[in-house]
Order: sequence, then structure tokens, then C-alpha cells
Amino acid sequence: MKKINWSKYSKPIILVAFVIALSILRPKAFLSLDNFSNVLWSVAVIGIMVSGTIFVFLIGGIDLSIATLCALSAVVVVSVTNMLGGGVGAVLLGVLAALVTGALAGAIHGLIITKFNIPAFLVTFATQSIFLGLAMVLTNNKIVSCTAPAFTAIGAFKILGFPLPVYFMAIIALASWAVLRKTVFGRYVYAVGGNPVASEISGINVRGASIMCYVVSGLTTALGGVVLASMTQQASAATGAGYTNDVITAGVIGGVSLLGGEGTLPGAIFGAVLMGLLNNGLNLMSVPSTHAGLVKGLVIVVAVAFDAMNHADQSKKKVKKFKKTKDTAKESA
Amino acid sequence: MAGQTILEAKNIYKSFSGVPVLQDVHFEVKAGEVHALMGENGAGKSTLIKIITGVYSKDEGQIYWEGQPVEINTYQDCQKLGVACIYQELSVIPPLTVAQNVFLGREPRKGKIIDYKKMNEMTQELIDKYQFPLKPTTVVENLGIGQRQLIEILKGLSQNSKLLIMDEPTASLSGKEAEMLFKIIQTLRSEGVSIIYISHRLEEVYMLSDRLTILRDGKNAAVLEKDEIIPAKVIETMIGKVVDESAGSKKMLHSDENAEVRLDVRNLTDKTDRYRNISFQVHRGEILGLGGLIGAGRTEVVRAIFGVDKAESGEVYLDGEKLECYPKASIKNGIGFVPEDRRNQGFIPLLSTTRNVALTNYDIVEKKGRAISDASELEMSKRAIEAIDIRPNDPDKQVGVMSGGNQQKVVLGKWLMRDLKLLIVDEPTAGIDVGAKDEIYGILEDLAKQGVAVIVVTSDLQELLRVSHRILVMRKGDIVKEFKNVEVTQSMVLAAGQGVEEEA
Amino acid sequence: MKQLNQTTMRRLISIGMLLILVILFTILAGAGHGKFFNFDNLIEVVRDASVPAIIGVGVTYIIITAGIDLSTGSMMALVGMTMANIYAYTLLPFPVMILAGMIVGLLCGYANGVIVAKFNVPEFIATLATMSIFRALTYIIAIKDANGVIKSQPMNHSHYTWLGGGIGKFYYVIMAMIIVVVFGQIVLKYTRYGTNLYSVGASKKAATLSGIDVAKTRLVAYMITGGLVAIGAVFTTARLQSATTAIGMDFEFSPIASAVVGGVALSGGSGDVIGTLIGALFMSTLENGIRKLSINTAFQYVIKGAIIIGVVIFDATYKTRMDRKAKEEGAKEGLE
Repeated sequence: MKKINWSKYSKPIILVAFVIALSILRPKAFLSLDNFSNVLWSVAVIGIMVSGTIFVFLIGGIDLSIATLCALSAVVVVSVTNMLGGGVGAVLLGVLAALVTGALAGAIHGLIITKFNIPAFLVTFATQSIFLGLAMVLTNNKIVSCTAPAFTAIGAFKILGFPLPVYFMAIIALASWAVLRKTVFGRYVYAVGGNPVASEISGINVRGASIMCYVVSGLTTALGGVVLASMTQQASAATGAGYTNDVITAGVIGGVSLLGGEGTLPGAIFGAVLMGLLNNGLNLMSVPSTHAGLVKGLVIVVAVAFDAMNHADQSKKKVKKFKKTKDTAKESA
Repeated sequence: MAGQTILEAKNIYKSFSGVPVLQDVHFEVKAGEVHALMGENGAGKSTLIKIITGVYSKDEGQIYWEGQPVEINTYQDCQKLGVACIYQELSVIPPLTVAQNVFLGREPRKGKIIDYKKMNEMTQELIDKYQFPLKPTTVVENLGIGQRQLIEILKGLSQNSKLLIMDEPTASLSGKEAEMLFKIIQTLRSEGVSIIYISHRLEEVYMLSDRLTILRDGKNAAVLEKDEIIPAKVIETMIGKVVDESAGSKKMLHSDENAEVRLDVRNLTDKTDRYRNISFQVHRGEILGLGGLIGAGRTEVVRAIFGVDKAESGEVYLDGEKLECYPKASIKNGIGFVPEDRRNQGFIPLLSTTRNVALTNYDIVEKKGRAISDASELEMSKRAIEAIDIRPNDPDKQVGVMSGGNQQKVVLGKWLMRDLKLLIVDEPTAGIDVGAKDEIYGILEDLAKQGVAVIVVTSDLQELLRVSHRILVMRKGDIVKEFKNVEVTQSMVLAAGQGVEEEA
Repeated sequence: MKQLNQTTMRRLISIGMLLILVILFTILAGAGHGKFFNFDNLIEVVRDASVPAIIGVGVTYIIITAGIDLSTGSMMALVGMTMANIYAYTLLPFPVMILAGMIVGLLCGYANGVIVAKFNVPEFIATLATMSIFRALTYIIAIKDANGVIKSQPMNHSHYTWLGGGIGKFYYVIMAMIIVVVFGQIVLKYTRYGTNLYSVGASKKAATLSGIDVAKTRLVAYMITGGLVAIGAVFTTARLQSATTAIGMDFEFSPIASAVVGGVALSGGSGDVIGTLIGALFMSTLENGIRKLSINTAFQYVIKGAIIIGVVIFDATYKTRMDRKAKEEGAKEGLE
């Protein structure tokens, strides 16, 4: 008897079901063009960030500083742009400054985590506070705005009806997919996440690869911050609040194991799309954004609990299977 | 001195998924004796102990405690009887004091509050009684491994244990610490405590034990009284006279002295003294067997050659060129390494055969620009599957769910895809079924024929004789014996590893 | 050589850090007419340290088992809001209201404990998730005004707010803190449960072999934390005389930071409640000094984060060094 492997199709099915449900529940609001843009924007920001953070997840790390690093880079891009007069050149330098901030933050994470062997959650938990403080210091704890057209274009400019961030997401996701799927570095990332000791013996520079993953994560988080700032035409220490959870949840929904070594970029992007729809749906259902944390938190707990159980299960199955092969080997002997 | 029988295991049978591990084993310990248990790897020592301590259940047989039949299903059951096992991986809690560790879970209390005064006094009494060099209030993290082991023993004694089981207690002790332990064992014996002493080291057994039970291939080989414990006899019994005559336990070694030297190791010395001044050469096409007891420093030496750990001093030359020893460089220089602990060091369980095979070979996998050619990667994996018959022959199969033999083939297979000059394998067939073992030997022999130098580290004497062209034996961090172009038997190798020859 | 015990060394370091900070602020604030070093202000410092120290006792227990709890801030908000609902909509007496808050706290702790100990979800992921769940629940039960907008619920009945005060300058919260810390230290050092906490943190395997119920030990630590969070919530709402959804925002940082500064190692198995108290005093001194010196409060966050990282790095390197030394010394001692 042939069994249909439902788990293979589960993601598209969930997605379609979700869209249908929202279309029925809130046909007018959900199916409008405006709303479509809203969803796209939301998806784009999460998608950009998760495309980089997935590297950290894959090596079994975590980044709790996503939200505040996002805020810091948003503040940096706005401040630099404003300082330099808001022209195209100013915007480019601003974006560059934000990206450098992100890369630097990631490098610091990676260095501390690998050099002193301190758990990633603790280091990023502490830097979360540092980034928040820096963002507040830079803005004097106020909202800084920037309406320079060259800057707002980043978030608002549309090509073929799609806002620019969607293209950013597409490009970054594609690049990230290519690196993970096609390059030697990508292969190493999975190996390091799956078994760092064996990786080291296989000649992989585990420490270097790990640091690189945190740098990538820092870069995409910073870009997320830039896009957010541009879309809202402002930045403050509160920019990006809640995104830590959104990005982690997107990864988890997309089948990326927080225990390391497992997960794909398309999965993570699926997670980002679902998170975008979820945020939008809750919004349309008049569920305040403050309540969404309930759903997201539950998703994380259930998914990771499942993951942990699966891991335990697999090693059990392995033993059984091993015994079986031993038995058959004996019989045939 | 020895009194009545305290523990008796009769007609014990145990098999794992059809493979018999213990067959009709008898084991008897008398009150107040040190009873050693010996046997080659896989002879069934640890299985027997695990049955006695309730970790495994037996298939057949009966255990008697002080003459009464007993059922031991959990470790707690055996503790209640008065048996304590000193674990190899110590179970002391470093942040607690000696006394806290000794009475963990059984602290004397006044109401709910632990009575430290009483606890420390009780501990001091025990310490005084057995003259251990310990203080009740010392925090364990400030103590060395030897003293931690004493705490374990104390813990057993505090529960009025009549029988202590020590599994390779000297494995991680320094010479002085071991001597201290021996003295304590003698004190315990004089106090009427029985001890089961499991060790590979003949000299210790010779010195300490009142009686010795030897297991061989899961069966009783002999029970020797104190005056019968003569090294030559013990070795003969462990290996088995009959077996010694049969094929595979005797071999005429042949090595080609004229072949070029491939690997030249000079004065390799470890930081923590696990090996010192190690010098040897391996020639083209030669399989060098590295024998000796577990803990003799063999694994550490080969790890240093490949560069997983750094040696303190010494040089390694390959084809006359001095090597920088770290894994990436070693791989580039044509060295392959199959580590001892397959599951934790050998492969990436979540990844497929293809990814595991290709992991060390991305320098030779085809690429378009920086993009790996999936086809080339797959082709490599298929080649490996074909070459060494990995089953299932599915390149996408996760290696973590495959059998041990096939996992090992994957680990080995990735090195076959390269031009190797030297292959180092550490315990290549541990936990692998017979069929796969033969295949792996075949692979090693083929490689040698192609001119690769091979180093095989193994504790399996039969394997050592089977594959080696030449044998070096290590003992306590030194190379103590070389067998070259002579007829060698398992007994000879074992005796060299035990250091028996020197004493005789 | 009789080396100074590792734990004692670490205690001296954290006390030293606190003293240096106090002296620094005293000098910076102008020692003569000190804005910082005067009785009223120092009492204020202790008062501010009290709630983090109370909750820190539970968090210390959790960290000693090598766990973590990121959800204490949200939990505090949820407990506060639960009590606010009872305050606003029922005529139940205050002790009953507080009891209800305690139950909610214990339930939250229980939830954390079950997810961590029974489902084996890594602690930081589990409590990161419950952090957002508890906060969301707080918003869901938040009290709204006539227009449906969430409002701050006053809890200003004098029968309740007296808890926020004290006997003169000797605030009740400080008394509560002293009781909790003393009691917490006794439980940790003088009961089997305390010993079990250390054992679980040092090695789950060794603890299991010694017959300790590892899962239960962890679960109870999370529940104790839940209960202490509820106590913290009572004093916080009584002092603020209101409950809002923002209570405990970023609060989870404080007890963890206090524990880390006080020498509770995140790898488990070491540290104690007194250390965490010193850490809490350090953190509140830092906040107070920054305020008194009119430094941009934003620097607080930077300094706090940097201190945590600094201390953790120090502990990591110090521990490897000490461990190596201890082993050598121990080996030598064994020879005698």
C-alpha cells in the first residue's frame, strides 16, 4: 500500500488553508490591494531577517538581540542620513553605516561566543541591552524621523506593483539559499550544527564558520532595521520591537531546528510568509498585536517540544534498527 | 582470610538481539576477598557486572546474595543489598563537600534542616576508620581524581556496603594515586569488605587479588586461586590455548624494509604526559598495527599526528616533508583519519551519505564558480557506495539511522575518494558485525597495495594480527616492543602490552 | 599551600565590585554634600534592590540547576493584572486577592517547569516563549476604559498601599526581602532540596545515579520562582498604587544580572542567594547613581549589558584557570 507523505505537503496546505480562512472571515479587508501590500511589507522584513538568522539557528545558536539590533541600525541609518543632508549619497552612506553596525555586532557575538565558550543566548541577551541603550543614547530617547525622498523610497518605491523591500527579500533569500545549498560554506554550516567535533576533525574551521554565521545574521538584521525605518520614515529605540520573537517563530514554523543542523531556507521563508499572514490576520480580526505573543509563544513551545521529542525518538529508532540489521546479518551468516 | 560466599551468580545467560554475550557464566565472591575479573575486550566482563548491578536484566540464571536467591532489577536494589559500584565516570558532585557527597540523599537531619555537625562527624569516623586522606568539609572541586574516587568508595562504605565493585579504577589515576588506592583496598579487605576488581592491568591484579575469574568469549575460562595467578598462565587463559593454535592467532609478520619511508614521527611528546618521545616510521604500502592496553596512549599519539590535539614537542614528516599538524593541513597533505568514537567524532548524523562522504573532499568536488556541482558530489557518493558497498545504497539516506558497520564505511569512504598517502584508523571495527569487519580489512589491504601507509590502532588482538604487517606495542605512554618479520602470537602482544616480559 | 576557596574568592570580588561602585558614585556626586551617599538615598537603593532580590532567590535556584528564566518580568505583569481584576471587579478582601496572585504565579512557574523538565525544551527557548505568552495574557485580561482602551488600574486603597510603605524608612519590602533571602539561603544550604539543586546543576547524570528526582527538582525551582514573582508583584503594585500592562517590562534582566554579578555561574552548580543579593544591590546602586548624577539613563542599558558580558567572560576564564590549578593542587595533596 502506498502511503501519501502528508508531511511533505503540510506547509502549502497550511498556507492555503490560512489564506482561505482569512478570505472567508474578512473577505473585504483581506482581499484588498492595500492589505496585500501590508502583508508583503510585513513578510519582507521578517523574510530579510530570517534569511540571515537561519545561519545562526543552523549552527545551533540563537540571537535574542534581533529586535534591539534592528532598532540600533534603524537609528544609525536615520541619524547618518539626516546628518549628511538626506541626499542619495547620504542615504547610501547611512545604509552602509547601518550594515557595518550589524556586521560588527554579529562579529562581536561570534567572537565572544566561540572564544569563551559562553552560551549564545546569554551573550545576545546582554548585547540586547547594550544595543537598546546605544539606540537610546543616539536618539536621546526620542523618535527621530527622516522624510528624505531618497530614504523613504527604500520602503515605499514600487516596481511592477511590488514594493522595493519585497525585491530585497527575494534577492537576499535567493543569495542565502544559494550559499546554504550550493557553496562549501553552506555545507560546513550544516555539518557544524550537526556535529561540531566531527566537523573539526573533518578539517572545518568551526570557530571561523560560526563567527561568519553571526556576522551574516547581524547584516540581515541591520538591513531589516533599515527597511523598517524607511517604511515608517522614523526610527527609535522601539523600532523592531517584537521582531526577535517573530523571526525565531518564523524559523521554527518553517522547520528550522533550534537545536541545530536542520532546516532549509525555503522553509524559513514559508515561516516568514505565514508569520506575515498571521500578524495581518490577527490584525484584521481585531486581535490587538499585543495578544499575538500568545500564539507565537505557543507555536515556539509546541514546535521545539516536538523537535526535542523527535530527536529522542530518532535515537531510539536507530537503536532498534541497528539491532534489526544485526539480527538479519546474523541470520544470513 | 576469605570467608563465606557473599555473592554468587549461577548459570548466567545473556544475549543482545540474538548474539550471545554471556553463556552459562558462574561467578562467586567470598566475604573479605579481592576478586579480580579479567578478560579480553568483549569477553563479557562489563555485561556481567551490569547484570549484578541491575543495569541489564539477565536472560537466564540466578543471583544469590549471602546464600539467598535475589532479584536485582535496578541499581537501587543492589545498593539495598549492600553492593556499591564505583563508576568509571565518577558520579561525585563537584560543588558539594566530601561529607555532602558521601551522604547525598541520606543526610542526617533535625526536622528538615541538615545536621552538618553530625554529618561531618559521621564522615570523619569513616575516614578515620579506613584512613583515607580526606577531610569532610573540603569542597570536591578542589580535589584530584584519585580523591574523588575515594569519595565514591566512602559513599559505598557509608551505606554499609559489603561488596564494592571497581571497574578499571586506576585508568585515570597517577602512579602515586594508584598506590594510595591499593593501600586502601588492602585496608578494606582487612575490614572484611569484598571487592570485585576489574582491570586490564595484570600487574595490579597480580599484586592485589586473592582470586581471579577469567572470562573468554562470554564463558568462564578459569577461576584461579592466589598462588595460581602467574602472568604467563593468566595470559594463556585469557587468550585460550586452543585458540592460540588455530588460525588468526598466530602470524608471520612481513614488512618490506626497502620500501620508502612515508611517515616519520620523531620524539612526539604530550603536554600532559600521556605519551612521550614517540618515534617510529611507516613505509609505503605498510600496515602498521599499534597495540597495547586501552589508555596506553595510542589514540593520543595518532590524534596528535593528524593534529586534532597538539603535541608539546616532536616532529612529523610525510614523504620527507615536515608537517604542520592540524586537521585541515593534514587532509591537504594526504592524511586520512578515522577516529575512535564513531558516533561523536566520525560523522554528522543528520546529514546524508552524500554530504558526509563529500565533507572532506570539497576541494576536489567540481564547482561552477563557487557553486558546488550537485552532480559531481552525488557521483562521488555513488562511487563511495559502490566501492565499499554501503547499505542501503541510497546516497540521500541519513547516516545517523544506518547500522554501525555502514556508518563506519561512510566515515572510511570519504577518505577513499582522495589520493591518500597515509590513513590512520582508530578502533576501526568496534561494535561492527563480522561481515562488515572483513570488508573493512579488505579495504585497508587494498589501500596498502596501492602504496598508502596505514596505521591501525586496535585493542582487538585478533584484528591486530589479521591486518598488520608490523606491530608496535605501547604501554603507559611508551613504545615498548616492536614485532617485525617474526612469527607473533596474541599472547606475545598481550604480554608486551602488560609489561610481563620485563618482569619475567 | 592553602588556597583561598574559589567560592570565597568570588564572593570577595562581587563585594569589591559593589564597594568600588559606591565609592565611585560618592566621589562623583560630591562627597561633601553627597546626593548619593546619604542615609535616605542608600535606603532607597536597598528598597529598589528588594524586588529583584526576592525574585532573584528563585532565579538563583533555577540557575544553580543550570537553567534560566527569561519570563519573570512578564509573569510579574500577569500576576499584577490578575490582582487588578479582582481589585476592580470584586469585593474580595485583599488577602484573597494576593492569594489569587500567588496561585497565578505558581501556575506560571509550573508551566515553565513542565515545558522544561518534562518536554525537554531548552530553558531559554521555553521561557522566551512563555515570556511572550504571559505578556499577551496580561494584555488580554487588561482592564479597559469605557472606550475599550487599556488603562492603568488604580490599586490605591489604603488597606493595600500600606504594603508599599514601611515603618518610617524601613520599608516592608525590605523586610520581606530580608526574610526571603535568609530563608532562601537556609533552604539552599541546609536542606536536602538545596543540595539537590547543586547536584542537578553540576551533573544531571550523577544526580540521577544518586537517586535524585532531577525533573521534580527543576520543576519545583521554577514554581518557587513563580511564587516569589507573585510576592514581587504585590509589592510593586502596592508601591505604584496601580497595575499596568507595562509592569515588569525588561524586568527579567534584573534578577539574572544580579545572579551573574553575584557569582551564580550560568553553567550551574555554584553560587548562592547571598551572592545574588549583592548583585541586586550592585545593579540598583548602578541605576541610582546614574540617576543621581543625571547621566542619560540610556547608558544604564549599555553599562548593564557590558557588565554582564564582562562578568561572564571573567567567570569563564577564571573558572578554567582555577579548575586546572585545583586539579594540580588536588593531585599533589593526594600524594601525602
